[in-house]
Amino acid sequence: MRELPQGCQEIQDDLLAAAVAEAGPQAFHRVQAHVGRCAPCRGEFERYRAIDRAVGALRREPPGTELDRARAGLEVRLADLRSRLLTYRIFDSPLGRILIGRTEQGVSLVRYLGSRGGLGLVRAAGVEAVADGAELERFSRELLEYLEGKRTRFEWPIDLRLARSDFHRTVLEAAARIPYGAVTSYANLAREVGRPAAVRAVAQALRKNPVPIVIPCHRVVGASGDLTGYAGNKIALKQRLLAVEGVPAVRTERDFRVLREAMYVTAPGEEAYCRPTCCSLPSVSLAWLTLFASRECAEACGLRPCTSCRPDRHPISR
Amino acid sequence: MVEAMSEEPFDAIVAAHHGEIYRFLRRTTGRVSDADDLSQETFLRAFRAYPSLPPDANVRAWLFAIATNLCRNHFRSEKRRRKALAVVEADGRGAEAGGPEGETLFNEARSRVEAMVSRLPVKQRLAFTLRKLHDQDYETVGRMLDCSAESARAHVFQAFRKIRGLLNGEDLARAEARR
Repeated sequence: MRELPQGCQEIQDDLLAAAVAEAGPQAFHRVQAHVGRCAPCRGEFERYRAIDRAVGALRREPPGTELDRARAGLEVRLADLRSRLLTYRIFDSPLGRILIGRTEQGVSLVRYLGSRGGLGLVRAAGVEAVADGAELERFSRELLEYLEGKRTRFEWPIDLRLARSDFHRTVLEAAARIPYGAVTSYANLAREVGRPAAVRAVAQALRKNPVPIVIPCHRVVGASGDLTGYAGNKIALKQRLLAVEGVPAVRTERDFRVLREAMYVTAPGEEAYCRPTCCSLPSVSLAWLTLFASRECAEACGLRPCTSCRPDRHPISR
Repeated sequence: MVEAMSEEPFDAIVAAHHGEIYRFLRRTTGRVSDADDLSQETFLRAFRAYPSLPPDANVRAWLFAIATNLCRNHFRSEKRRRKALAVVEADGRGAEAGGPEGETLFNEARSRVEAMVSRLPVKQRLAFTLRKLHDQDYETVGRMLDCSAESARAHVFQAFRKIRGLLNGEDLARAEARR
């Protein structure tokens, strides 16, 4: 390597910086002045300039078809991942730890974890699980508000792909329409989905509800008013959720029973709600009635007080 | 209540940045198949992490950081690295013919610069490519390479010196002058 004069040696870093457009204005002027009077450094400056321009030419190179192919490959893999990816969050609630999970389409999983870790269960569902997600914070907060009686509905996108069949999905969508503070029977839900004889299948679909609380399967009870079952053996949870919504229930020997006689009532297709003893109630099966915890709950669904039993003038006293 | 999410913002991110990330990886790995794999992996990772990305994050720099990281892991295996170099050198020699003499010389110079870049050590190559071909600032490049902004700048300058040493700079300047 040739020995440079000291003035040249000192300016080499600035010279390179100036040639490749990385120098500040002061350094640039220093370099300009120097190369003006030093031919070897001017040559060096030009060589770096040429390299920089060749680099600039590299930027314009379009990879063309190979890029399109790479993009198509990515889209396929993304679609696959999207269909499997579930973001989840685990939080403490008055009902114990709850896991809430969502896909790109919406909330797809709510699970009572109790004291057990629940992630194994999520993995078993054939999905790829990833912790947290900012939006889930809102969902878990709203769920807690509901459990404290401060929220009556969830405006969430729901993804029902974890439902086991189209029939299950139909049942769950029908259950999603049962209003806050109301209960109806498995038989009535079976009638709703056009399969009045499939009462047991309806109960089974609700038992496998992937998003309990959000899809309020706890609002479906036996025709007699017995709660009959919830999420396996969590009948006490069902009673607590109903209590949050103001639905009165009493303990029986093995179960709880909704106090039908203490609830307002309406029949399918009716526009009014009645006291449970109203004589104008159509002679439909008891199982087909929807019961309301309060006049407010009934009126929130657009029902008006019956003009014959006047629940507005003679509210039920508890 | 039962409805689909109306928009998928991640699609917009793919549309906006896939081309550039792909080119970056094509340049730094020197192989189409590696660029395919690593660009897919970059976006799949990004998709998984996207829900927890702060709303004010710089998405482009974030994608470059993922791609850079994958690239560095990829090159940790020395064997792989050598294979990649052999391929790029073969590519580099196959310069296109035709056109005015100056243009040909310049194209040749360009592909030689490309081949030189691919022979740089990984950190220099990444710093050089991020800075000179993808306009990342030195702070960002430093963060991606786990070093200071000053070291990132030093990597880029070192890369220039190496290219200058490897290339016959005279030819390059003359080719330019004759264009």
